[in-house]
Amino acid sequence: MGTRKKQETQKMAFSNTEVVFNNLFSLFTYLAVLVGVIVFALMAFLIIKYRERKNSQDPEDTPRLGRIPIVRGHGRNVLITVSLSTIILLALIIGSFAAVDTLLTPPNGTWCYGLYPGYGAQSPLNQDCPRIDVTGHQFYWEFSYPHALPHAPLYTEKYVFRVPKDATVVIDVTSADVFHDFGIIPFKIKTDAIPGRVNTIWFQPYQNGTYLIQCFELCGSGHYYMNATLIVMQVPQFQAWYNST
Amino acid sequence: MSPEQLPARIRRWLYTTNHKEIGILYLITSLFFFVAAGVLALTMRSQLSVPDNHLLSADLFNQFVTVHGLLMVFWVLSPFAFGFANYIIPLQIGARDLAFPRLNAMSYWFYLVSGAAMMMSFFFGGAPDLGWTLYSPQTSFKFTPTIGLNLGAAGLILIVVSITMSSVNFLVTMFKMRAPGMKLKHMPVFPWAILITIFMMLYAFPSFLAALLLLYVDRAFGTFYFSSIQGGALLWDNVFWFFGHPEVYIVLFPAIGVIADAISTFTRRPLYGSKYIIGSMIAAAIISFIVWGHHMFVTGIGLTSTKLYTVTTIAVSLPFDVMVIAMIETLVKARVRLKAAALFTLGAVALFVIGGITGVYLASVALDHALRGTYFVVAHFHYIMVGASIMGLIGGLYYWFPKMTGRMYNEGLAKIHFIFSFIGFNILYFPMFLLLDMPRRIATYAPSTGWAALNLMSTVGGFIFGLAQILLFVNLFASLRRGSISGPNPWEAWTLEWSLPSPPPAHDFDTIPAIAEDGTYHFGNSSGYPNGSGYPNGSKMGNGTVHSHLEGQSPWPVVVAFAAFIFFLGITIGQPSNPSVPVTFQPFWPLVLDGAILGVIALYGYSRERFSVHEETNVESWPFREVPNVKLGIWTFLGAEVIFFGVLIGAYFFVRTNSATWPAVGSLFEVRSGFAMTLVLLTSSLTAIMALVSAKVGSRNGLMASLFATFGLGVAFLYIKATEWISLGANGVFSVANGLPATSYFITTGVHGVHVFAGMLMTLYLLVNALKGRYLKGDYHAIEHFGLYWHFVDIVWVFLFPLFYLI
Repeated sequence: MGTRKKQETQKMAFSNTEVVFNNLFSLFTYLAVLVGVIVFALMAFLIIKYRERKNSQDPEDTPRLGRIPIVRGHGRNVLITVSLSTIILLALIIGSFAAVDTLLTPPNGTWCYGLYPGYGAQSPLNQDCPRIDVTGHQFYWEFSYPHALPHAPLYTEKYVFRVPKDATVVIDVTSADVFHDFGIIPFKIKTDAIPGRVNTIWFQPYQNGTYLIQCFELCGSGHYYMNATLIVMQVPQFQAWYNST
Repeated sequence: MSPEQLPARIRRWLYTTNHKEIGILYLITSLFFFVAAGVLALTMRSQLSVPDNHLLSADLFNQFVTVHGLLMVFWVLSPFAFGFANYIIPLQIGARDLAFPRLNAMSYWFYLVSGAAMMMSFFFGGAPDLGWTLYSPQTSFKFTPTIGLNLGAAGLILIVVSITMSSVNFLVTMFKMRAPGMKLKHMPVFPWAILITIFMMLYAFPSFLAALLLLYVDRAFGTFYFSSIQGGALLWDNVFWFFGHPEVYIVLFPAIGVIADAISTFTRRPLYGSKYIIGSMIAAAIISFIVWGHHMFVTGIGLTSTKLYTVTTIAVSLPFDVMVIAMIETLVKARVRLKAAALFTLGAVALFVIGGITGVYLASVALDHALRGTYFVVAHFHYIMVGASIMGLIGGLYYWFPKMTGRMYNEGLAKIHFIFSFIGFNILYFPMFLLLDMPRRIATYAPSTGWAALNLMSTVGGFIFGLAQILLFVNLFASLRRGSISGPNPWEAWTLEWSLPSPPPAHDFDTIPAIAEDGTYHFGNSSGYPNGSGYPNGSKMGNGTVHSHLEGQSPWPVVVAFAAFIFFLGITIGQPSNPSVPVTFQPFWPLVLDGAILGVIALYGYSRERFSVHEETNVESWPFREVPNVKLGIWTFLGAEVIFFGVLIGAYFFVRTNSATWPAVGSLFEVRSGFAMTLVLLTSSLTAIMALVSAKVGSRNGLMASLFATFGLGVAFLYIKATEWISLGANGVFSVANGLPATSYFITTGVHGVHVFAGMLMTLYLLVNALKGRYLKGDYHAIEHFGLYWHFVDIVWVFLFPLFYLI
């Protein structure tokens, strides 16, 4: 049952990162709506119930000019509020930790399987593929694939980022000039591109198609068109493209 | 034209030091900036209403997005709140004015000229265009060679100075000048909120000031703090957000104070759990200094750090829970009067709940990997900053308008204003939550993104909200003359300001009120006080002391601010040093000189002016009972200086630990000369103490000799320092342009050197006065205050010496 449901979600989703995001976002939203509805209902109820009417009287403890008002309030209620909130927040923290562990702990990259001898699911080593470098420039993205192992020149492409479907893709993101942020919009994953630093993220695309990549940090006059296209291809097509470069 | 020829009314506003008039100036100026920044926002909303729009160029859009943010955060939210604080707090705590009225005027004028500098930036090659967060390394002159960004930075530095002066002033006022019997716990929530806010200001803004200083030096002199990859983006992120997150609460808390007190007034009940509300604010203020990492979740600061920041950030929502629940519990068994002020403040609570809950989303490092830099963030913080802060403060405007003008506004029109504001607000910002895929700060977007419908909706809401504010201005302006007379206490509120006539007389209180053990107020010998009726005209009543607020006018605050303005124009307006390779720029020295000369003249005039502030003797001043006002002010100021130098030293550590190599000990500077400077400075601390002792025992020769020795030792210190600087520069390999070791050394010791120099100017001033025989008859306080400053400067060196010479 569980795996089947998981497979169903995967069928609908574009990538594993989107699944992680959607699950966590739903958890937050269920609880947010629950809390919000209670609070707003309570507020509206109290305001309507206790609104001033022609025949209503000031409460006995109404503050009057000329005297410091009496101190009200019960520590018990504060304690209850804080405890209830803490339970909700703990659930959110635990959920967030599990999700971020997934997002920031890349497994072995598998995008290069079948491209290099010694790499592949059938190979005895099941080796980790080299990472793909993503570099932000004012105002375009550049993707560098290690072309032939080892120590061969990189194959670099601008504007278009091709990856094989269902493979694990691990990318190292950096910047050549100013602060950018690399985000694959439908995959709900992004990381900052900072000069002199490398940030690693990973994803596993579930469906063929083209996806919008955009810069998410104001980086200058061309920021709004600093886009790229992620193309998810069937593995054979990807390999054919890769070998033709 | 001599000042006498100026029309008296203009002169009154230029020279005023009265807290109420300065409060009005703050309110009017902040509302002006509110309209200006609002117009920028509506222009951006028009640009974004349809895809592929080219109403605004991308360059102009980026400028608008940046200046809108900067203006709203720095020139609208806080000054709006501090307009109320200026006007209301002395009345609420039973003080006649702020502790330092001229300093208060100076804060206002610095605020005004800082805003002018920011607005001028549009006309000098384009305003700042990289977001209000001013991320590095784009701020480097190499990437943004515009004078506009320099001017923006000048505006920011000036407003930080304004805010620092203001926070010192309010802190001393609220700790030292409360009416007899007015214990801290008796203060309403609004003064408490301001008190907590100024503590945050005091410890957050120096970090920003240090960051701006380093940025300026980078741009003007080609140093490397933010243009190098060892410092760069993450150094800025850390120092900026260390300031930036407390800043979020700095702009929020005053509104929470207004909301809490207005809710109590309009529900006719004492605030539920007011001490828990205040305790929660203190807790949130403290936690706000350890959550800044959540602005850096995707910068790659490491899994463990991001998890810690997730926990602290989610934890900071707990105190806000308590505040909101306490406000809602106040409604139980209340008698809710839905006046406009009540609608705005209760509405603000509702919007704050949405803003707060969505803030928890952004506290999660996992969700932030999707939501960072999207419109979800924009929606969240506008629910806080507009929904809670602006709506709450507009509530405050309606609440205190009768007190400030003596007239009632039109209640019906105000309610219509609320309805349109509230609905318009939600149509404007709620769709942004749904735009959680759209990057913020993009000038336009393609139709294929599917973002058009929500954007159009948001723009429509923006115009409803924006145009609704016209009702506010029309209402208040018309009511100034035509509103019905409000009387002293139209809302039947309990706080002290309502015991005065509306508007209050220039001197506020005829007799300083006293709060008795049982919590009742007493004016003079009148016991108790009828409920807002028949304010007794008690100019000479009872046994209370009678003081009228002197026509306290001073020309110097505005002149000092103007001089600072000219000075900062000079250091920021200039030419690129090398137009073909713009890496640094050359300040415009004539203006710098003019500003400096005018500043010295103005400060001299300021210090010579006979402007005594009466210190009440019989006041509540726990926990600083034994400390005079000026001394407390200096201690507070030095607290801010600690953060300032802390950031400079922190920046040095940051770049040093990030650098693969660093010159070995002794290879750059001689340990001997550092040791000599340490000895010289420590000795000068001793002579400063001797000066104080001599002044106390009345020995003029001892005082003169000690001051002279202090001055001489300062000269010796600067001489050794200058020799070191020159010899390092002469070798050629160690100019600022040569890398981070030189950058950090010259900047840190340079800033310290300027502090030493300022201290020597003070000794000169003291020497001149000592020559005339002052300070010997018990009036030695100036010597003591100088000593505090001087010891602090020496202590800083005690840290710098090992950090630069020994490790």
